[in-house]
Amino acid sequence: MAAHFDTEYQRLEASYSDSPPGEENLLVHIPDGNKSPWHHIENLDLFFQRVYNLHQKNGFTCMLLGEVFELVQLLFVVGFTVFLANCVDYDILFANKLVNHTDSSKVTLPDAFLPMDVCSAHIRDNVAVMFVLVISGVFWLHRLIKFLYNVCCYWEIRSFYTNALKISMAELPYFTWQEVQARIVEIQKEHQICIHKKELTELDIYHRILRFKNYMVAMVNKSLLPVRFRPPLLGEIVFYTRGLKYNFELIFFWGPGSLFKSEWSLKPEYKRGGNRLELAEKLASRILWIGIANLVLCPVILVWQILYAFFSYTEVIKREPGSLGARCWSLYGRCYLRHFNELDHELMSRLSKGYKASSKYMNCFLSPLLTVVAKNVAFFAGSLLAVLIALTIYDEDVLAVEHVLSSITLLGVCITICRSFIPDKHLVYCPEQLLRVILAHIHYMPDHWQGNAHRYETRDQFSQLFQYKAVFILEELISPVVTPFILIFSLRRKSLEIIDFFRNFTVEVVGVGDTCSFAQMDVRQHGHPAWMSEGKTEASIYQQAEDGKTELSLMHFAITNPQWNPPTETTHFISQLKERVHREATGDAHTHTLTSLSESEPRSLIANFLTGPPSLASLHLGRHGSMTNHEPIGNSDGASALRSLSVNSMRGSYSSTHRSAGHTSSANRAMVGSGTDARTASSGSSAWEGQLTSLVLSEYASTEMSIHALYIHELHKQQSQGELSRHTWHRQDSDDSSDSVTEDRGAGGGNPSSRNPIPRSHTFPVSTPTSTPAPVSNSGPPPDRGATPGQEEAPVQTNSQHRCWANTVSVGSEGRGVRSARGPMGGWAEDGNQGRHPYTVPEEGSEDDTPPNIHKVT
Amino acid sequence: MNCRSEVLEVSVEGRQIDEAMLALVHTILLHRSTGKFHYKKEGTYSIGTVGTQDIDCDFIDFSFVRVSSDELDRVIRKAVGDFKDAMGNGTDGMGQISLEFYQKKKSRWPFSDECIPWEVWSIKVHVVNLANEQERQICREKVGEKLGEKVINIVEVINRHEYLPKMPTQSEVDNVFDTSLKDVQPYLYKITFQITDTLGTSVSTTMRRLIKDTLAL
Repeated sequence: MAAHFDTEYQRLEASYSDSPPGEENLLVHIPDGNKSPWHHIENLDLFFQRVYNLHQKNGFTCMLLGEVFELVQLLFVVGFTVFLANCVDYDILFANKLVNHTDSSKVTLPDAFLPMDVCSAHIRDNVAVMFVLVISGVFWLHRLIKFLYNVCCYWEIRSFYTNALKISMAELPYFTWQEVQARIVEIQKEHQICIHKKELTELDIYHRILRFKNYMVAMVNKSLLPVRFRPPLLGEIVFYTRGLKYNFELIFFWGPGSLFKSEWSLKPEYKRGGNRLELAEKLASRILWIGIANLVLCPVILVWQILYAFFSYTEVIKREPGSLGARCWSLYGRCYLRHFNELDHELMSRLSKGYKASSKYMNCFLSPLLTVVAKNVAFFAGSLLAVLIALTIYDEDVLAVEHVLSSITLLGVCITICRSFIPDKHLVYCPEQLLRVILAHIHYMPDHWQGNAHRYETRDQFSQLFQYKAVFILEELISPVVTPFILIFSLRRKSLEIIDFFRNFTVEVVGVGDTCSFAQMDVRQHGHPAWMSEGKTEASIYQQAEDGKTELSLMHFAITNPQWNPPTETTHFISQLKERVHREATGDAHTHTLTSLSESEPRSLIANFLTGPPSLASLHLGRHGSMTNHEPIGNSDGASALRSLSVNSMRGSYSSTHRSAGHTSSANRAMVGSGTDARTASSGSSAWEGQLTSLVLSEYASTEMSIHALYIHELHKQQSQGELSRHTWHRQDSDDSSDSVTEDRGAGGGNPSSRNPIPRSHTFPVSTPTSTPAPVSNSGPPPDRGATPGQEEAPVQTNSQHRCWANTVSVGSEGRGVRSARGPMGGWAEDGNQGRHPYTVPEEGSEDDTPPNIHKVT
Repeated sequence: MNCRSEVLEVSVEGRQIDEAMLALVHTILLHRSTGKFHYKKEGTYSIGTVGTQDIDCDFIDFSFVRVSSDELDRVIRKAVGDFKDAMGNGTDGMGQISLEFYQKKKSRWPFSDECIPWEVWSIKVHVVNLANEQERQICREKVGEKLGEKVINIVEVINRHEYLPKMPTQSEVDNVFDTSLKDVQPYLYKITFQITDTLGTSVSTTMRRLIKDTLAL
């Protein structure tokens, strides 16, 4: 330490005296006290999740009432079912047995009830009924305790809303999440709910709420989870149920002995690469035990599942209006289509917007054979029905004849079913365009769907994302039986890959804890060169997120959270992309420039999907309700809306007042087409103005995102045209990349060049994008990337907020090697990859996915 | 995990353990203690003085400053002594002592009061065996230097403007400060130690998590 002090401070000679405490000349302090209890919250993950939940459930009272009713409902359903099964004398009801009434001949309902003691004896004798009753009793108690616990917890959140955020419960349903979030960010400055930083960012909040979901999305994206199976006869199926998901989460995130120490940190031994084999073995044995436990508890889970399905099913309907239809987005689809850092309501609104188009698309594929049969069945059933009805009208005594009423009902049902197989005569389906519209909402789709929208393979694969609700329920019900086997036989084999995944893709972010590195949305670390991040990414094939997930997630997050300040590189990426889209929009919608000299620029892409296919713009902007004005707006309107949006958000004025003002004006400008809306937006009362603006904003954000998604896909398509795509529909598991896969690929087209000559079916008017310019990157040598020597350096995270522990600290030099491209362990064996062009890898499943050492653990 | 955590690592000889630990723990506590608060009627308070004291180490070329409170010293010495006993004598080993500062938060009835840590100092200790007297001599000096570095390290960390619990009112003073000592008033702290890297969390925490997770909405 310093040996001598040369300061200018001098000792005061005269008046220095060491006075005892309690004297009045001492310094007097005023305590600031802890007026708010909201500083320094211990478990911020849970806290933010609850804040989000309460917002999604529209406030405390709504939530409370909903839960109470659910409890009552459960009691009612179980009680009523048991009563119907055991306490009703059906013989009396069906008049097979006579009741000896003295006063009248009428049979009353109470006559059909068995007396109390008989009834309870029935129940007691029946073991199965007792079993169900006990389980549902436990289930109900569990829910009751859960309910009471939640009431206590959420009461606190409620007071957080009212006292700290200054949002009363009555107003809460009219606040968007973005506004709530902005307030949270605001009060952090005052209360310091998170003690690591002075200021919270939107991304921090998202990371905390979605920590595990991001991991799941990333694992599905990298095809790590065993959800695709190839049972004999059935072809490839996706099996991903709630039970399976619960087990995955139990194993990875919170169960006993899971990989995570607490909600926010991975256990340190999993961050080190040293004993990965031991850890993998440990994980494998744990999976085995959980699998066995699942097997043993199978009957209990089955009953539980039925009860649970019943209740969550009603909840699903409440949450997702689209689910009233015959189809729903599968659980796998939700994982596959979800962006990183996308909250539930954002995903749901996106998918719901795509629902109509999707079901329309699925309806294109009515089998002509079935149609013929259905038409004829409907004809015969209809004539019978007509006769019966006519007779009834003539004399209603016909109804009294046995089974006439039931046959009328049955015939009616039969006709309804048949009608659903007969296509509407006056509708013309354009699967290719429908798929475009769907893409605008769901944002992800495998490459080979484009141009193949009319084929059955595409339809089948799409139906994995968008399944029949009946199939969904069926899968849920067989899940207790199948889950243990999946765990024991499929997941266990992947334990080493899982360990590697968590080690390689976990970063510690200050103030957030361990998160999935994909969720950082860093184009440099996880970008995919075929998806706009050419030249910017340093990721190896193992590190690249598939399907352009990093890029699209980044755009989505930046658009939904305009106040978010991304790190500079990312900002650069975003603004560059926005500028390109903007240029396309202005240049082409108005002047229709011809293909310009700069070949690399995919000119008229926007024009392609704004003007090219008839009324696509209006399709997706107007008809599907993604805009507030429901009249279809013209192409130029759409373009100008886009332009004003992107100009505005590029301006970079992030102060909130400025922002809202700017966006109001942009909204006004864009909505000139429908004057009324514009007027309400501008002349609304001051109290409503903010809310309205933010609602309008979120609508525009989703439109903007749709346009960007389409643009990115279009660009990607052009880029990969003529080249061998390394991209395949769902990277195959290492073990089932068998011959059947390649066969399927050949036909289904994982490979665009072999796909092109496929004769198009005549039944569907296929829209070939006529105005597409000649594929620009067709013959040119594919840009050299991926194998640059610069990649050997471990990516240095320049973002000052984040410390990348896995990269620099805890893993040390070894981890460095892993994270950089040529990881010796984990990842994909890429030996000899240096000279190989990534695009020439036709199937990564067979070569990339499986280093020999992964097969050691079985 | 809403708390800062700092890690210090030292490697020492067996007999130096307690002095090294005392030096570090006392240094941290010196900066995390205030004088006693004397509350006055108008809701203001004055702060008493804190004396300091230089301590010379016997087995290390090092002296450190500590709060001159024998009571506090006794508590720390006891904790460090326990740690040393648990480490065993003379063998190679790894151990970790953590000094955790927390504040209490009153909760509503069904829940017990929460202790929420806001800063955790983990001191990792490697014990080395030395063969002869010459090596011991070198070690004596080197450990002294190392400790000096650590002290500067600690001061740097503490000098940063980071979250500290707000100064409490009279009724809340027990939630922030340890008021049991009569001459000094450190922030509420807790000293725990752990000998080897025990794998996994204890059964009780796992069970608690399991229950909490099933209850969560």
